[in-house]
Amino acid sequence: MSGEHVALVDVNNFYVSCERVFDRSLMNRPVVVLSNNDGCVVARSQEAKDLGIGTGEPFFKVQRYMQTHNLAVRSSNYELYGDISARVMELLGRFGTWHEVYSIDESFVGLEGGLEQVRTTAAQIRSSIDRLIGVPVCVGVSSTKTLAKFANHVAKHNANLGGVCVQDLMDPDVLARIKSLVPATDVWGVGRKTGAKLAGMGIESIADLEAADPMLIRRKFSVVLQRTVFELNGQRCIGPVEERRDKGQVMFTRSFSSPVRTREAMEEVMSIYAQKAAARLAKEGRYASLLTVMAGTSRFAQGEASFPSTQVRLPKPTRDPILLTRLAVAAMNGLMHTGVDYVRGGVILSGLSDSPGEAQLDLFGQGGNDPEHEPVNVSGVVQDISARFGAKAIGLGRAGIAQAPAWSMKREHISQRYTTEWDELPLVKA
Amino acid sequence: MADAQPYVPEGASQGPVQAVSAMGFPSPARDYFDGGFDLNRLLVKDRVSTFIMRVGGGSMQSAGIYDGDEIIVDRSMPVRHNSVVVLTLNGQLLVRRWQIDGQRVGLLCDESTLPVVLAEGDDVSVFGVVTRCLHHVR
Repeated sequence: MSGEHVALVDVNNFYVSCERVFDRSLMNRPVVVLSNNDGCVVARSQEAKDLGIGTGEPFFKVQRYMQTHNLAVRSSNYELYGDISARVMELLGRFGTWHEVYSIDESFVGLEGGLEQVRTTAAQIRSSIDRLIGVPVCVGVSSTKTLAKFANHVAKHNANLGGVCVQDLMDPDVLARIKSLVPATDVWGVGRKTGAKLAGMGIESIADLEAADPMLIRRKFSVVLQRTVFELNGQRCIGPVEERRDKGQVMFTRSFSSPVRTREAMEEVMSIYAQKAAARLAKEGRYASLLTVMAGTSRFAQGEASFPSTQVRLPKPTRDPILLTRLAVAAMNGLMHTGVDYVRGGVILSGLSDSPGEAQLDLFGQGGNDPEHEPVNVSGVVQDISARFGAKAIGLGRAGIAQAPAWSMKREHISQRYTTEWDELPLVKA
Repeated sequence: MADAQPYVPEGASQGPVQAVSAMGFPSPARDYFDGGFDLNRLLVKDRVSTFIMRVGGGSMQSAGIYDGDEIIVDRSMPVRHNSVVVLTLNGQLLVRRWQIDGQRVGLLCDESTLPVVLAEGDDVSVFGVVTRCLHHVR
C-alpha cells in the first residue's frame, strides 16, 4: 500500500528528557520538574511515575523521596525546553511532506511512501532526534491523526516496539485485542465527561467507539465526536490543527516569590506582565478589547485580605504594548492598598479578535492620528529588538531592566539555561 | 571648515560625476557585498545538532583547547580514532581524545602519555565531536 500517512511524534517525558541532555547524572533515577514557583509536580521521569508520584502533586509531598529514593528535583527551565523543542521541530520539518506543531513536544508529520518505507522513515526520525539532539521520542503512524495518536500510545506502552508503531503493519489480532482493552477516554479528544456518558451507553473501549453508529454519536454528543468515530475508521476529517492554546484569552498571572507591598513594586509587576501578555498577543496575531488586572493576598496570611481586580474596556481592539502597559499600571494603581502583602498578580487580555478596530479613539488627550503613538509599529519595533538582542534588551518603563526583580518567579531548583544564556553554558572538564 | 564634501583624490576627473548620492560615493563592490561574515554560518554546520560548552581545566592544550575557552560541539559528526569529543563518564562531562584500538576504547589527554582504557563498569556516552574552539587570546 502506498500513499500518504500521518505520523504523531512526541518526546517522552519532555521536560525531564530536556534536563537529561546535559545532566547525565539524572539518567536511570527518578526526576520531577516543578511548576511555576516550585509549587507542584508538572513532569515526571518513568522512574518517578513508578514510585507512584502523580502529576500535580504538591512539591512538599514528594520531598521525602529525595532522601529515600534519590529523587532529583528541577524547577521549570522554560528557556531550555523552548530551545530543545525548536530543534526537534526544525529537524522534524526535514522529514515530512507537511508538519504541524501541536504542542511544545508533539507534532503531526505527513509521510509518503509504502508501509515498509514509512516504517524506515519513522525509525530514522526516532534515531536522528536521539543522536542529534539527545531526547527520546515515540512515533505512531497511521492513516488519520486520531489513529496516529493511538499508534503513538501503543508505541509508548509497548517497549518491544522500539518506540515506533506503524499501525497497518501490526498483527491484526494483537491490534484488535489492544483496541478492546484501551479505554475510549485514551482516544484523542475524548474527555473524562464524554467518557462517562459513553460508558453509560456501553461504549467503553476504543473498539466500542470505533464500532459506534456515527449518526447516533452526532445526535447524542456533537459533530466533533462524530468526526473522531470517522477518524477511528480511517476516514480523514480533522484538518490542520492549531497549536494548543486558550482561544478566549491571553493570560499572564503568577505568584510572587516575595510579597509586593509598595506602589512602585506593583507598577513594576503590572508593567512587565502587560508587556508579556501584549507580546503573546502579537505573536498570535490578535487584538484584545478587554484588559483585566488583578492582584491578591495570600489566603493563609494573617494580615489584611485584599483582592483588587478591575476591567478596562479598550477603546478599540489593540495589542499596543505601550497602551496596555499604561492602562494596566493605572488601573491597579487606584485599587491596591499599600502596606498589604500581595502574593500574586495578573494581566488578562480577552475579547480577542483577528483584526484591529476601525477608529482610533482619543485616550490620552492626543489626536487619534497622533504619529508618535502608532500602536502596531511600536510593538513591531519592540519585538524586532527583542528578537535580535534578547528579551531583556528592551522594555517599557520598569520592564526594561536586566536584573530579575525580587518578586519574580521562584525557581530554586533550576538547572542552567545551557543553550540560551552565554553565562550558563554547560561546563566540560578538560 | 567648508561644508563636508565627498573626498576626491587628486587627479580624479573634475567632470560631472555620476552616481554620487547624498551618502558619498557608492562602493564599487556594492553588488558583491552581502553583509560580511556570518559566524553562525561559518562555524555552525547545523543549528539543530550544535551546542556550545565552556571548558574548565588545562589538560587538552595539545588540542588547542585552554581553560575558559568555549568549544563548539556537533552531535552529527562521526566519532573516529583521535576525534576530540565531549563525553559523559560516570555522569561528568569531559573533553578528551577518543582512541580506538580494536575493540577497546581509550580516552587521552595531555597529562598522560597513555590513554585511560575504559573498563566494563564505566558508564560512558559520547555527547558530540568538538569542531571548533573559541580561544580567548589574553
